[in-house]
Amino acid sequence: MGGTGREPGRRQGPLAGIRVTDFCWMGVGACATRLLADFGAEVIRIEDRNRLDMPRRLPIYKGEVRTYGEEDANPDPDKGGLFNNYNRNKLGVTINMRTQKGRSLADRLIASSSVVTENFAPGVMERWGLTYERLRELSPQVIFARMSGFGHSGPHAEFRSYGPVVQAVSGISHISGLPGEEPSGWGLSYMDNEAAFFNAAALLMAIYHRNATGEGAEIDVSAVEAGINLLGPILLDVAVNGRSTRGPDYPTGNRLEHPDAAPHGVYPCLGVDRWIAIAVFNETQWRGLLSVMGDPAWADDPRFASQAARFANQDALDAHVLEWTRDKDRHALMHALQGAGVAAGAVQTTEDTIDHDPQIAGRGLFFELDHPVIGEALFEGTPIKFSRTIQENWRSAPLLGEDNAHVFKSLLRVPDDEYEALVAEGVL
Amino acid sequence: MDARRRTGLPHPLQGLTVIELAEDPGGEYAGQLLAEMGAKVIKIEPPDGSPSRAVGPYAKGEASADTSLNFWHYNSNKLSVTLDLAAPNGLAPVMALLDRADIFICTLQPAALKALGLDFEIVTRDFPRLIVVSVTAFGLTGPWADYRSSDLVALAAGGPLNSCGYDDHTIPPIRPGGNQGYHTVASFAHIGVMLALLERQKTGLGQMLDISMHEACAVNVELANPYWFYPRVHVHRQTCRHAQPSPTQSALFRCGDGRYVYYTLIVGDQRGWQSLVAWMDAAGMAAQLTDPAFADIKYRQDHFGEIQEVVECFFLVHDSDRMYKEGQAAGLPIGVLNAPEDLFTDEHLVAREFFVTVEHEGLGPVVYPGCMYRFSAFGEVARIRAPKLGEHTDAVLSELVEQAAEKTEERVQ
Repeated sequence: MGGTGREPGRRQGPLAGIRVTDFCWMGVGACATRLLADFGAEVIRIEDRNRLDMPRRLPIYKGEVRTYGEEDANPDPDKGGLFNNYNRNKLGVTINMRTQKGRSLADRLIASSSVVTENFAPGVMERWGLTYERLRELSPQVIFARMSGFGHSGPHAEFRSYGPVVQAVSGISHISGLPGEEPSGWGLSYMDNEAAFFNAAALLMAIYHRNATGEGAEIDVSAVEAGINLLGPILLDVAVNGRSTRGPDYPTGNRLEHPDAAPHGVYPCLGVDRWIAIAVFNETQWRGLLSVMGDPAWADDPRFASQAARFANQDALDAHVLEWTRDKDRHALMHALQGAGVAAGAVQTTEDTIDHDPQIAGRGLFFELDHPVIGEALFEGTPIKFSRTIQENWRSAPLLGEDNAHVFKSLLRVPDDEYEALVAEGVL
Repeated sequence: MDARRRTGLPHPLQGLTVIELAEDPGGEYAGQLLAEMGAKVIKIEPPDGSPSRAVGPYAKGEASADTSLNFWHYNSNKLSVTLDLAAPNGLAPVMALLDRADIFICTLQPAALKALGLDFEIVTRDFPRLIVVSVTAFGLTGPWADYRSSDLVALAAGGPLNSCGYDDHTIPPIRPGGNQGYHTVASFAHIGVMLALLERQKTGLGQMLDISMHEACAVNVELANPYWFYPRVHVHRQTCRHAQPSPTQSALFRCGDGRYVYYTLIVGDQRGWQSLVAWMDAAGMAAQLTDPAFADIKYRQDHFGEIQEVVECFFLVHDSDRMYKEGQAAGLPIGVLNAPEDLFTDEHLVAREFFVTVEHEGLGPVVYPGCMYRFSAFGEVARIRAPKLGEHTDAVLSELVEQAAEKTEERVQ
């Protein structure tokens, strides 16, 4: 790969100098360790050639439109956009962990690392002998982060999960939807991302603690328990007031129960499936809304005379609002309402946020990196502008086994002939 | 497993002081995430209380500044100090607090900062070790910096909302419950604070963090971003399952008790198919699916609608809890759609001792969610009820006076 700018070098950032043996795969783990890689950690992803990571297989390809599930039987592992998205700034190696030689190489890598991460089903690391106790023998101050759906203890520890299952079990799907209807829940694996963020924070806290004390840690984060923490105040309403969330009045769709915001909803705009969210919390904002509407006569109705009255009469109020919004451009309306001090936001697609949103573009959230197979691609940045800390985006995601020679020969000093033999034997 | 809930060990953020000037759940949850790991979080409130105290629901339905469950949820383990920042020289006590602090969380947008005379450039210059964490709707710069937001508006403009709702697109996108736009930005605030603390361990210097809820939502849309980065296609919302470029089968199955389970029927997965049929067969409900013709993937794909119907019937005559546990025992990734009230008695959460109780005067013990992380090296911070309005004003301010006196004494000596 000489001269292509893809050779690993010295990293910058607060995590520079920290080597991570990264067994993570799929979404949660990869998204969590991406954060470490972005900020300077040398994250070495271990992959299995015989069991490709799902994001390498999912058909999210440049110039080819397919739905999730319409996979190639024999996909090009280096073409997957989702893998590129999750694994920038990381190194990639392949190890066949079913072989003794493979496991012994992994041990050597762990011995040279100070962080080990994984998000397998419980029991996989144990099968390889990689318990926290063993990891500490290999690397005494190791931090061992274990990310799973249900946590590593309890009767459901081995339950299978992915984002939608976590969302269901934790309750955050149930609390989303129109009253009396089936839940609308989530149209994405929100909990894969959120669990990843909490796992990343947990790792950073453990590293911070180790820097101060020299002590490592084992970390157990259950995505379901993270999801329960994200239920918000409704959980206390249930706990303190015995409130039932299974009645016909809950959940409340786009309306709030608290505070008495009205109008508070998503209204149709000009175009196919185009919408605007409007949220009015007080009299001043209501006056602002009316001024943009041109002070319509219907607003004089006593049903709309106060915030409390409007809140109590939202069906009638919403009928007026949507009649007014439906022939308007969602962005023009958003700016007009914001100009009058009303919280309003066009329901934006990713085409809007990535290609056309002046607020996002001006702050440089998305950035571009080249990839040998995929070519130039955009990436999700970190939504934090640091005055001092550097996010060094040095490379797109590794090709399958791209860094084998660097990691095994340069870092672990495996002699050339032994390395060639490992390749020939299918260990790498 | 050494990572379990334990007490008596140190907390990772012990010894750190956080000053929180937060008017919304984004900043408040950020402060809470630090408090639950041992930081001392001093919440500055106006004399009539934070806006979050005026948001219900309320304990036993009695509205007051000290009974808001919304406030309790986001502010446990904090100290409350009331200050009138708009009064003449009103910022002086804030500056005195920042002088002794490690982290300053602030949710004020640029116009509000200007009106108050709070200038982050001066703050970061005067307190070089301080980590200033601005958590705002759109960030401190850019054409929308002073636009108003809310959880719904943030989820709309940032993109997640476009993926959520029902198959029927005459129904607008539906906001997922629980303040997730605010929770998303708080997650990044936590990460940002930790990165800045690690930076400070190396350099001794603090810094300014400008965190935007809009951007946090824009990177929390999962597949919708790569679908636009790569094939440049839009995803379309579907009922309680992934938004996709083209429609997929329903994944919500109604059960005999009226509750739902989530299960994605993937007929192309041979092992999953066999497990499903064996499970249904054991309950005597596999019907025609045991027919050898269904062993063929192509045949199953061609008869998907028929299979979905048989599976729907199977779920419809059994209780959700049984379907969840038996399905999981069969190795299938099935999730029951729990309601919040179901969680307190969930056998797994009970066995993990997940929930904690917090003592509230007049109410007795109240059940709260426990911490989401378990560490072998850290003890758990006991959850303490949110402060009453101004509960710690005197204690914190008199400490400031003492510190000022000590400083003067040092100077004299």
